[in-house]
Amino acid sequence: MVLHQSLPESEKLKSGTNWLNEFLGTLWRPDFVPDWAVPLTAVMVGVGIVLAIASLATMFSTWLERKVSGHIQCRYGPMRVGWHGFLVPLADGVKLLLKEDMIPKGADRVLFVLAPALVMSSILGAMVAFPLSHEFFFADLDLGVFMILALSSTTTIGVVMAGWSSNSKWSLYGSMREAAQVVAYEIPLGISLLVPLMVAGSFNLIEISEAQAGWFGMHWFIFRNPFMIPAFIIFFIAVLAEMKRAPFDLPETESELVAGFMTEYSGIRWSFFFFEEYTAMFLFSCVTAFFFFGGFEGPPTHFAAQVFGEGHLVHQLTAFLTIAVKGFAGVFLMMWVRWTLPRVRIDQVMTMGYKYLTPLALACVLGAGVFEVLWHWGVDA
Amino acid sequence: MDFQGIHDHLRAIEAPGLTGFDEPRKPNPEVKKDPGRAGDPYVIVDAPLLPDFLMVCREDPRLAFEILVDLSAVDPSKDDENLWVVCSLLSLTHKHRLAIKSFLPKESPVMPTSTTVHRAAQWHERECAEMFGITFERHPDPRHMLLPDDWVGYPLRKDYEFPEEYHGISCT
Amino acid sequence: MTLPEGATTATGEREYLVDVRTQDMEVNMGPQHPATHGVMKILIRCNGELVTGAQPQLGFLHRCAEKIGENVEWLQYLPYTDRYDYLAAMNNNLGYSMAVEALMDIEIPRRAEMIRVICAELNRIGSHLIAIGTYGIDLGAFTPFLYMFREREWMMALFEKICGARLTYSYIRIGGVFNDAPPGWLSEVERFCDTFEKAWREYYDLLMMNQIFIKRTADVGVIPREMALDFGLTGPMLRGSAIDWDIRRDMPYSIYGEIWEDGAFKIPLGSGEMGTLGDCWDRAWVRITEMMESVKIVRWCLDRIEPGPVIADIPKVLRVPAGEAYVGIENPRGELGHYLLSDGGKIPLRCRVRGPSFSNLAVLEALLPGTLLADAVAIIGSTDIVVGETDR
Repeated sequence: MVLHQSLPESEKLKSGTNWLNEFLGTLWRPDFVPDWAVPLTAVMVGVGIVLAIASLATMFSTWLERKVSGHIQCRYGPMRVGWHGFLVPLADGVKLLLKEDMIPKGADRVLFVLAPALVMSSILGAMVAFPLSHEFFFADLDLGVFMILALSSTTTIGVVMAGWSSNSKWSLYGSMREAAQVVAYEIPLGISLLVPLMVAGSFNLIEISEAQAGWFGMHWFIFRNPFMIPAFIIFFIAVLAEMKRAPFDLPETESELVAGFMTEYSGIRWSFFFFEEYTAMFLFSCVTAFFFFGGFEGPPTHFAAQVFGEGHLVHQLTAFLTIAVKGFAGVFLMMWVRWTLPRVRIDQVMTMGYKYLTPLALACVLGAGVFEVLWHWGVDA
Repeated sequence: MDFQGIHDHLRAIEAPGLTGFDEPRKPNPEVKKDPGRAGDPYVIVDAPLLPDFLMVCREDPRLAFEILVDLSAVDPSKDDENLWVVCSLLSLTHKHRLAIKSFLPKESPVMPTSTTVHRAAQWHERECAEMFGITFERHPDPRHMLLPDDWVGYPLRKDYEFPEEYHGISCT
Repeated sequence: MTLPEGATTATGEREYLVDVRTQDMEVNMGPQHPATHGVMKILIRCNGELVTGAQPQLGFLHRCAEKIGENVEWLQYLPYTDRYDYLAAMNNNLGYSMAVEALMDIEIPRRAEMIRVICAELNRIGSHLIAIGTYGIDLGAFTPFLYMFREREWMMALFEKICGARLTYSYIRIGGVFNDAPPGWLSEVERFCDTFEKAWREYYDLLMMNQIFIKRTADVGVIPREMALDFGLTGPMLRGSAIDWDIRRDMPYSIYGEIWEDGAFKIPLGSGEMGTLGDCWDRAWVRITEMMESVKIVRWCLDRIEPGPVIADIPKVLRVPAGEAYVGIENPRGELGHYLLSDGGKIPLRCRVRGPSFSNLAVLEALLPGTLLADAVAIIGSTDIVVGETDR
């Protein structure tokens, strides 16, 4: 059931770092610069862009978190630094950089230092597979989704390392909870993702997005199939649990475990965990958008393609804006949930993951499969 | 039941350790400088029999003092040779209170614990023990309650002398 | 694998898995911990997430209130009463003043009684708002706390208008109250009541009826009737276990007897509606419902208050007749008792404070073992202690 063709090889060459590579190759360079420096520079620039996107998303998300929580709680949130406190994340960054970097006496220094680096690098690695538009990406992977899921799960190892190496009992609790929780929720997360994957017939995010281009850009998977809605809900809950976001913030649980696995961290190392959380929120909101809400597709992208032609800069930009808006809408939803609901207990988290979400996700896969076959059989015949 | 009724009933059932009672009274104009006494009436109970007395008060259906509201001690003055242990009982069923007072000699302030009757007594007794130096025999958890474990002296005794310093921290 | 000497279990069996033998972990919850509501330590012994033992350790906030009481004059001690249960300072003032009055036999002016009751009940509302709000925080719901602070802020502004202080009022004095209510104050209290009644519905729906909140609190920390009596619990802790006791009704003081006769308020009791009788939800429900009853009492007083003097004629240097008295009043957290002993002089001989939090906290030792760590936090929150009062 191949619904569409992937991009031809020649088209792909024009994209992402390859495009940068080509562009840099055309520039004049001194003789002593060897040839291999060009692709290296291209990759470095690409990494820089990924890092910039992740940082910007994080900064905007932290600002959004403050404003959203503030307005939910009948207050303004930050108002002084910049317009409506827009520069607060920047001030935060400076503050965190300047803070004293402390390593507790009894800590396992190597693991303690490695843990935030691992967390940060895995989430940035996952960001690499995230396409910015149809033709601007850094790794157009055929298993893009897989890579995002795999690398973002690696953060768990960092969290467990952090909790273990801190030599604090609260941290240990936090990391053990994280491990238990992530293992429990990887399963419904993966299974519920199978539903749109089955419909799209591809692991490639761009192709998945293009599969939803019909109906003036509104042929989103969520409207396509009655089993998509429960699959989306399961996926969203599992994402919340994976992101350690309330009501599943058990690894942190400020009222129980002080700050969970981050208790002993301070300054810039602490901010790495923070960075990971917000980047992952944005990334997974975008993944949700790709799988259930059309990805790049939407009426604006559709009409941009109609007016300016496929692949035109305006089309690309519209696609990028569309996914960004959808991503932040997801982030907003997560914040809304966080500032509304109390936290669940660890046994309730486990029960929900194993007893309810996993079987439900399996039922969704089965239902969606049967529905798709029957529907297409009816339509095609 | 008012205090008189409670006292009469305690007499009638021969409550263990009950030795007497005291009631507020107006100053007697015939005695010079008689201050009288204001406040609540109380019964006086023999300190070694206090737990038994509390048990009787709780189990007797006409008294039914289910709750031990307060247990504390008083050092009335430097010269007095007794410490007072004061309890306050409350009956939810009959909506009455009873104040109890026991006397403990300062030389050997030892009395049995009431924790076996009311678990509420446990913490009050711990506080009492550290503040007044009363030893409650067979207390399940005789640690300090509010003061540090190495605190010297019994602060609420009238002859307590405030320490000059505590672990190098000046207290003056 | 060679086994170390004596690697046998308690029953004498040889233990083969010595390497994976586990032991309970001891965790210090506190003194700096968000869930202990102040500077208190609970030594918790855990088997994984399961709490197997708990031992509250107090004294971090001990300020020698009782010792100070033996060294200052009767009137000078009043500000210290503010400091033990700092969330319900009006009630503390009332308790102490009434204990002194019990020794002195003073006639309190009627307007003073009315203002006392209004202030005490407003303070009860404020205190319960904190209790429920911080309980929400303990369970991870941050927003209701700030909603509740909105109303509490107004309540504190009202107190600021009447006595100039926002937290430690020292407003209710021996013999009455410090000064009369400023013009327009009573009508503002009326407006506060109107607003509060609307806001109360919001809290009830947002927090109490939240499914996660119910799942976290129902069937958790069940205090059976016998346990409640044995530990001498008072206040909402007692009523959460459906023991019908409220000093305001059953041993009326001030003008509460009159208000109760008039049928102005009810005593909410736990019903086990969401789980077992006497669980955390019941206690929270009792607190949140009591706030509405307090509003009714305030309204009753506002309808009947008349001009008049607000303080009896009290000398500057008070000499209290010799004697001893124990007076217990219904604080937001339970029975606040003052045992005062006077020898007829200017300073008390003994000034014993029976704080409700102290007794209510003792129940943790029996309640925590066998629960999960997260439940432990829920139970500590539901006891609603103020550490200033447990340590005094």
